[in-house]
Amino acid sequence: MQNNTLGNIESIGFMALLILYFAGSVLYFIYAGAKKEKAARAGYLLVFAGFIVHTLCIIARGVNAGRLPLTNQFEFASAFAWGIAICFLVFVKKFRFDALGMVVAPLIFLVAGYAFMQNREINSLMPALQSGWLGFHVCTAIIAYGGFGVAFGVALFFLLKGKLKGSLSERIPDEKTLDNIIYRAVSLGFLFLTLCMITGAIWAKRAWGSYWNWDPKETWSLITWIIYAIFLHLRLRGAVSGRKAAVLAVVGFVCVIFTYVGVNLLLPGLHSYA
Amino acid sequence: MTGPMDGAPDHKAGKGKNRPQGWLRFLKSMQFSFVLLFIIAAACVAGSVIPQGSPEAAYRQLYGDTWAKIIIELNLDHVFTCWWFVLLTALLCVNLILCSVSRFPAVLKAWKASGKKSIGMWGSWITHLGMLLLIISFAAGQYTSREETVYGIAGSTQPLGSTGLSVTIDSFDVSLREDNTVEQYTAGLTVSDASGNSKSGTASVNHPFDAFGYSFYQDSMGWATYVDIYKSGVQVKTDLICAGEYTFPNELPSLVLMFNKFYPDLARNEDGSYYSKTPLPDNPHALYSVYYDGSVLGMGLAAPGTSIDCNEYSFVMRDPCEYTLIVAKHDPLGWLVGVSAFVLLAGLFISFYVRPWEKKRTQNAE
Repeated sequence: MQNNTLGNIESIGFMALLILYFAGSVLYFIYAGAKKEKAARAGYLLVFAGFIVHTLCIIARGVNAGRLPLTNQFEFASAFAWGIAICFLVFVKKFRFDALGMVVAPLIFLVAGYAFMQNREINSLMPALQSGWLGFHVCTAIIAYGGFGVAFGVALFFLLKGKLKGSLSERIPDEKTLDNIIYRAVSLGFLFLTLCMITGAIWAKRAWGSYWNWDPKETWSLITWIIYAIFLHLRLRGAVSGRKAAVLAVVGFVCVIFTYVGVNLLLPGLHSYA
Repeated sequence: MTGPMDGAPDHKAGKGKNRPQGWLRFLKSMQFSFVLLFIIAAACVAGSVIPQGSPEAAYRQLYGDTWAKIIIELNLDHVFTCWWFVLLTALLCVNLILCSVSRFPAVLKAWKASGKKSIGMWGSWITHLGMLLLIISFAAGQYTSREETVYGIAGSTQPLGSTGLSVTIDSFDVSLREDNTVEQYTAGLTVSDASGNSKSGTASVNHPFDAFGYSFYQDSMGWATYVDIYKSGVQVKTDLICAGEYTFPNELPSLVLMFNKFYPDLARNEDGSYYSKTPLPDNPHALYSVYYDGSVLGMGLAAPGTSIDCNEYSFVMRDPCEYTLIVAKHDPLGWLVGVSAFVLLAGLFISFYVRPWEKKRTQNAE
């Protein structure tokens, strides 16, 4: 039995987090345009507040549904935004790269907004999804996508750095640092994407009897994995300039988005519920 | 995938006495691995966009004659099992083997030379080993595993292919929630071998039942019905058929009753189409077609017990019941995939978070 109070709390909370993420994005733009350090700090706090509200919303939905809220388009999109948010908050703090908020805060807002447009009805789980592996599989995907989202934001800065002028240009770290942040974010994402694919394979073995079925979602996860594997080799080998590696980080994230949204819309398969 | 930063201090392939030949150098090179990975990724795109395993006519209808011909010629209708995809994967394995073997002495030397003998030196090497093991164990599993299917209603016994085992479906239960959504499909099974040994248990979704080296999976379900066939009012045959199957009088095989679909709780949409309101058999109807010599004589919906008459013959469908389809898999190398995956993950973790020179490099940048 679903609890209306919890449902209302979740709905109001979701509106609030959207506003917070949006306001955070605006403040990051003000920081970039008007050279106001306080705006960046306020932007960070607003995204952080949005993240806290987001966490509470996910908990409320989980309690209301009586299960992990990670099983349909809305729930996964919401968790996807949450994953990018936590990676963003950690990376900004660790690397003191406030301008990153200009790209990643709007990305969090957009993904959360996409979630908001999905059907938010709480449905019962189909038998195939009633597995302890669901939590491992989807949580690892969230962290992986979060890492790749941050890498995408930093890669955009890398590619645009030469074209940006004035105060904004001064707020972007040098290329070596950007390259390093991209690497750290991609390596986090790559490790968790591998874990996600492996936990998914083990789950598939339990549910269907085979580790790999070449389902479109699996196949596109593999394509994404290959692109980031090439990225890591190119970078470690020092065979390409940071610019080309940054382009690969952007292409990789386009694949991530296609794996999540495009495959669901265009290539139905065993993961059609996700 | 050999490279200067790839797990060990640079050692140039091809220098010194043991200079490998050009082709060998290319086979173990990172450039070759990039080419392979790029083609494999492109093949994956094709394999996910183009429907796999459809008949040729379906491709003609979807893409036109020219493209359908190209798809068939290039095996793009079964990308993941075609010879060139297998060859690409085999070449990737060769690349991984050669680069791992050629890098081993250098990694070992670097490891011995390092004072603390950190495992971080081995991160990249272990990752590649894990990847290689994963591909090999998965491929080996394709050749050593065996799959059989049985389907039937509760109480039926079927032989399990040519395994010498037989499967009795003791029970089949579809548990529904209050809102009529399916909570679980559970089949009670007894598996027996030729010597009379048997083992009983249940198979439900996500919970296979293991017996005699096989795992039994609750795969899918559907509806079956008994069909009584009468000739001039005298019963001549009784058959049990599942949706999608057909039956006929033995003395007149050209007269066929096809059981197309079952609606447990028949209802009609506004546009006139039929659907089942609930999964419960509250208003059961079967959609059937009758053929004679391949031509359709008629089709319609019939409730259980309704007589479908064709001259002197009549068909009566009765006692609809659910059947279950059980897939049995024997995968002796399944454990190896798990071990390989663990090695791969361990290698990645070591590469990213224990690797000493990468750590130093990133810390300097930070």
